[in-house]
Amino acid sequence: MMMTIKSSNHATVKERPVTTLEQQKSRPEGRKDPWGPLLEKVGKTQDRVAYHSLFEHFAPQIKYYAISNGMANHAEELVQEVFISIWRRSCLYDWRKAAASTWIFTIARNQRIDMLRKMQRSSAEMAIETEDLWQIPGDSEDEPVASLHRLMSERRIRESLSLLPEEQITVIAKVYMEHKSHQMVADELQIPLGTVKSRVRLALNKLKVILQDQNV
Amino acid sequence: MTRHHPDSLSLMDYSAGNLSEPHALCIRLHLDQCSHCRSRVETLESLGAVMMDQQPKVTVSDTSFDQLLARIDSAPAEPAPVAKTLRLSPLQKLLGDDINELPWKRQLGDVSILDITEKFPGQRERVVLQKLVAGGKAPAHTHRGNETTIVLQGAFADQKGVFNQWDFVVLNEQDEHKPVAVGCEDCITLSVLSAPLKLTGTFTRMLNPFIR
Repeated sequence: MMMTIKSSNHATVKERPVTTLEQQKSRPEGRKDPWGPLLEKVGKTQDRVAYHSLFEHFAPQIKYYAISNGMANHAEELVQEVFISIWRRSCLYDWRKAAASTWIFTIARNQRIDMLRKMQRSSAEMAIETEDLWQIPGDSEDEPVASLHRLMSERRIRESLSLLPEEQITVIAKVYMEHKSHQMVADELQIPLGTVKSRVRLALNKLKVILQDQNV
Repeated sequence: MTRHHPDSLSLMDYSAGNLSEPHALCIRLHLDQCSHCRSRVETLESLGAVMMDQQPKVTVSDTSFDQLLARIDSAPAEPAPVAKTLRLSPLQKLLGDDINELPWKRQLGDVSILDITEKFPGQRERVVLQKLVAGGKAPAHTHRGNETTIVLQGAFADQKGVFNQWDFVVLNEQDEHKPVAVGCEDCITLSVLSAPLKLTGTFTRMLNPFIR
């Protein structure tokens, strides 16, 4: 199979253009998140132009996501399933609950899990559905509306990622993009599990993602 | 209000979709009751989105978008999905409405267990419910491998503290404990065991209630 990799930032991790001015202009988050309004248009008026713009931007990401997760033979299929799901669910999208890219990431993640589950067994055997275990933001009405802090978080993550050492980004990328447990990452990089864990913890702390583990 | 939360690495594995179904269930049940961890997961999902955005992109097939539109146009009209107000908890789906009325298997005096591993076909872990009658004590035991536990009802206490409903705890080889059910309800927990428990008392080792 021929695959064209458009971007080469794989090899130049340190130069990831995460905080360049241009990037910030083209992808501001929060209410100015350009993908949120497009998603809302799809939800409210089944706008196919908006849907196409979303497809142009996110489909190549999702295809890479499938390939890096070891689903090269099903990559186009995953893209299809994710976008069918986006079309059907867009009426539930609420920009106050998640940035559009976060919402789409959770759909891609769930469709990947769902596809793997279905390959492994018949649906009759599945007592609980993928979405009982992994929720899409906004699916349940009783969820409180996001705080401003949450809307800001994607931009903050993007900005702080550029400051992280490459070794930390590598570990996080393997967890998210290659479906690898911390133990598998340790085996692959031939470093102790403790080192993997401490790299992730350091990264999460720097990202200010959370992270008081206890006593909160 | 829960006080014992999953650690960041577990939540990261969860948000990346890398956990087995029984482990994901434990996290999900905790999240349903813990807004603090929900917001941690939301942030980690945003991290996932940013990672996906920063990876290489792969061009999709030329006909991909047209195929999508064709599927949308040929699909029978389905009712639009609605946000669920009353979600059936995954626990209810799995176990019905009353976890007290399950076919519990009485073990040593105060302990009953119910193995529900078969509800998760194709998983390697053992999944068990354990019930300790109100005020009852479990025999001292340690754990081989990791045991992830969430309290579904009541509370138990050991030397590390009190674990209330929806509290989350991970135990391993180093943790020998002797839990006691506190409060006036039976304490029911859901545990995912990567390996069987190992009893530590000489007498109880012979009875071996948790090991088949």
